[in-house]
Amino acid sequence: MQNVIAFIEHKGGTIRRSSLEAATQARTLADQLGGKAHAVVVGPGAQQAAETLKKYPLDQIHVSDEDRFLDAAVDAVESVAKSAGSALVLVGNTMIGRDVGSRFAARVDCGINADVTDFKVEGGAVSCVMPKLGGLVITTCKLTGSDFGVAAIRPNVFAAKETSGAGEIVQIPSSGKASTVTVEDEVEEAAAELGVEEASVVVSGGRGMGGPEPFTTILKDLADAFGGAVGASRAAVDAGWIPHGHQVGQTGKTISPQLYIAVGISGAIQHKVGMRTSETIIAINKDASAPIAEFADLLVAGDAFAIVPELTKLVRDAKAVHA
Amino acid sequence: MTPASGKEIVRKALAMGADDAVMLSDDAVAGSDLWGTAVALAATIKAQNADLVVTGTQSTDAISGDLPGMLAEKLGIPGLTYARKLEVADGRVRVERETETGYMTVSAPLPALVSVTKSANEPRYPSLKGIMGAKKKEIKQLAAADVGVTAVGTGGAKAQLVDLATPPARAKGQVIQAPDAAEGARAIVQFLKERKFL
Repeated sequence: MQNVIAFIEHKGGTIRRSSLEAATQARTLADQLGGKAHAVVVGPGAQQAAETLKKYPLDQIHVSDEDRFLDAAVDAVESVAKSAGSALVLVGNTMIGRDVGSRFAARVDCGINADVTDFKVEGGAVSCVMPKLGGLVITTCKLTGSDFGVAAIRPNVFAAKETSGAGEIVQIPSSGKASTVTVEDEVEEAAAELGVEEASVVVSGGRGMGGPEPFTTILKDLADAFGGAVGASRAAVDAGWIPHGHQVGQTGKTISPQLYIAVGISGAIQHKVGMRTSETIIAINKDASAPIAEFADLLVAGDAFAIVPELTKLVRDAKAVHA
Repeated sequence: MTPASGKEIVRKALAMGADDAVMLSDDAVAGSDLWGTAVALAATIKAQNADLVVTGTQSTDAISGDLPGMLAEKLGIPGLTYARKLEVADGRVRVERETETGYMTVSAPLPALVSVTKSANEPRYPSLKGIMGAKKKEIKQLAAADVGVTAVGTGGAKAQLVDLATPPARAKGQVIQAPDAAEGARAIVQFLKERKFL
């Protein structure tokens, strides 16, 4: 593999952070492979997104205005990959990123690695490092047997860096194809906020929260003080206190924020596998002997309902001093 | 697609209500990567002439979430993923696709593939009648050659495992008793400062 293609996810031209991470990583890998770094951006707003991408270290930014849900993106990545001849495709390990990456891999019969946290390039071959079984093992898989390969990168692991890039914008000709999938309607149920996968600080609540209210008050306030996101354990989601999109753990999301604050979460294995690769873990829990004590960097045993608001205040004060 | 030991899982699916079951079990497909798994499963599913293929979102071990999209592509049918609700009417399938901030309603003509999320339903418990009935049902066993699949398995993997390591265990950290909330909060801030978060 020689060239690297970053698939860019965006909403009306606003690019997701994980895609900017993919764009930045595309350059790093392309340099190691001696090839070019490309971006592919598709759908309404793609032109605007392409302008933003000019600030990233890319050689070419391929743009398509086509609006066929997922199909247009897969077709665009395929056409850019095939004209590059040999390419590694980077997608974010997100719902859309997985859909596009997996379908491209099946279409061109290449290998795909999911939830990648590191790369190893050796003699033109790319290997991907991936924590599996909730971080219990670290696997390294080499992409082989094809001129192409796909890596779905875990959000928040790779850096997104603006540079004085000067990517050339290239229009992808319209395919003229009709869509097989019809989008009838799109409904926003929650404010478009930073998701737990992409936030660098996540404040999560569990059974100990006792109801829905803390998730929109004390936990939200603490997350906001850090510019972070609110997460939850399965118990809280199953109780209907917060939507499933916030769930961290085995049947929810696997995340690696820089700071994870677990409030009223015992730390059962199902939760642990979703957050154990966080850089720093702080637990606030009434029980000092909860399982989470075994892997948290700091556990403060006390009344979360009193500690969290106090902590929020101190964090805001500390941030104000630096601002 | 499972080693022979997976037969009991297939049997459970029958007990829960499936009319019949097909099991692809062969050393030739063992150790397949995602690509090989998609190729082998698609070939097996194709032979069933299904109008609708329903999958989960991701396995609990590898958690890739890539197989539904790959299967749809290999079957050459529309793939509607992350469905929390689905209905079939007039030759079309319509789903509520979960998004990070809500949902989208998307539809496609049959045949199609749908991957469902945990919110789609509650798995039913096998009834005693179902369990008894499942014991009598035949599980059709297929080998790779039966579905015309070659070059998959460990040897054919396009994502080849080259290393498997155990990460260093997270060490047990500090535990602080904080009967006084302000003191607890201060201890956390101190810790955050030491680690340069503040």
